[in-house]
Amino acid sequence: MQSTRGTEKGPAGTFESIVGKRALPYVFLAPALCMILFLLIVPVVEGVFMSFLSTSSAGVVSWVGFDNYRILFRESRFENNMRASLLYLAGVLILSTPLAYGAALLITGKFRQAAYFRGIFLLPWISAPMVSTLLFRALVDPQVGPMGRLVQHLSGSSVVVLGHPVWAFVFIIFHSFWRSFPFIMLFLSAGMSTIPSEIYESAMVDGAGKWKRFTNLTLPLTSNQLAISMLMVTVWTLYDSETIYAFTNGGPGYATETLAVRLFKSAFINFDLNTGAVIGVILIIMSTLFMAVYMKLVAGAGGEGQ
Amino acid sequence: MTNRRRKITKLVSDILVWFGFIAIAAFVLLPLLWGLRTSLAPEFDSKIIPSSFTLKNYISVMSRPELFLYSGNSLIISIATIAIVLPIALVGAYALARFNFIGKEFGVVFMIIPLLPAIAVLVPLVTYMNKLHMYNSLIAVILVNSVFNLPFAIWTLRNFIISNPISIEEAALIDGCSRMQMLFSVAIPMMKPGIVSVVVYTFINSWNSLIFSFALTPSPKLRVMPQGILAFMGTWGTQWGGLTALGILALIPPLVLFLLFQKYFVAGLFGTQLK
Repeated sequence: MQSTRGTEKGPAGTFESIVGKRALPYVFLAPALCMILFLLIVPVVEGVFMSFLSTSSAGVVSWVGFDNYRILFRESRFENNMRASLLYLAGVLILSTPLAYGAALLITGKFRQAAYFRGIFLLPWISAPMVSTLLFRALVDPQVGPMGRLVQHLSGSSVVVLGHPVWAFVFIIFHSFWRSFPFIMLFLSAGMSTIPSEIYESAMVDGAGKWKRFTNLTLPLTSNQLAISMLMVTVWTLYDSETIYAFTNGGPGYATETLAVRLFKSAFINFDLNTGAVIGVILIIMSTLFMAVYMKLVAGAGGEGQ
Repeated sequence: MTNRRRKITKLVSDILVWFGFIAIAAFVLLPLLWGLRTSLAPEFDSKIIPSSFTLKNYISVMSRPELFLYSGNSLIISIATIAIVLPIALVGAYALARFNFIGKEFGVVFMIIPLLPAIAVLVPLVTYMNKLHMYNSLIAVILVNSVFNLPFAIWTLRNFIISNPISIEEAALIDGCSRMQMLFSVAIPMMKPGIVSVVVYTFINSWNSLIFSFALTPSPKLRVMPQGILAFMGTWGTQWGGLTALGILALIPPLVLFLLFQKYFVAGLFGTQLK
């Protein structure tokens, strides 16, 4: 790192004069980049590589090409994992985003009230997934939990929520909704409050009604935040293994076993790292696809607004 | 007449807003309050508000030595992560905010990296750490945890630096400070809110995280708090009094930090307009 190519040197004998002015930003960024390179980029590449390997029971590693993928794609369990992941994602996304957007419209600009409540709204986000999972399990206990009793009352049977394939899934989605909704609401509200009020005033002078102001101003001007919050929800749910694992272990059967839970179980409990790597690659591809779709949506909405 | 009608509309919309706020707050608080109730209620009290309160569950949880082992490990990981992330993020963020250099556009990478699935990156890291003889050590967890907290820290600090006027820094340079002196005696003190926000964020994230430890440290001695909760959930079954007490205790450290530094923390997460 001892480059002295910089032509303009700082005061003699200082750190800056040793490394040279032009190299300084690179020196400043070097520790961060090194960490990211060695602990993130290299592992990702290695993970892709690992997905093409197979380890025999004797520990012999061999190159098998796409065999791991082929075997996985033929499994009905994998099909189920994929369906569970998409269902989980769709459930939380459809529940969280519109409700958070509506709630953000309600709370934006109401600073007097917001000051009292903001701390409360962030509680789900600061509580550990394991803590909220534990509290929700207490809530849904069939004997003593109020929600467990409520479900039994509604369905008219002595159903055990986390032991039932559909109710368990609904409850897992509900828990993730509880975790994500208030955060997304505050995030969207922050975006809405950056829109200068003059824009609304001039639109009102032009005779634009409430609905018109919403579709022509608020919505396009917050499309960026909307896309980012959808991406956040997507990433949270797609990668979430721990809450489902703690709720149901992926069960009953494989009913709630998403891709991330499958990865978690196969890689870190059964130590089948090659299968884990394959699912990891699939998760990375899926999140990239979703990112591309949301970016496209933003570009579309932004273009309309201008 | 119109004035009166406007007043009534305002009143109605105010009530609606308050109602909305209270409804959302109730939704958020109910699971937490039920947990608190269960942890404080005597074992077979099924009333919504129990007739008496007891600290028995807390005392029995606190008497388990594992609790201090797990929270100690969590604390070590959280503090070490902050010690690694903060200095590295500070200089990196300063470079991104104040220098013009070739390749600066790639700073956006720091926003995209958090979108990678930690769980997928952990698979090769198990082999990797094994080769480095760091598997099953807190150092492995600290390093990996640091990498995943670094991008947010850099980006937040960068935004805070940009929002500070550059003229003060320039004045210090003209007065004969070296850039390093200026950085430590002028720029960094001005970034206090950003630093507080990054420290709180990193602490909460580290304290709450399960999967890094789950993947990298199988030894029971190295368990962190969330792993402890998972293990207790497995062995205590439906002893909700003790379990909820454990959950509430695990919530206290991030909650205290959050309440103390709420203003800075919220500004760091959502930008200064919500302050």
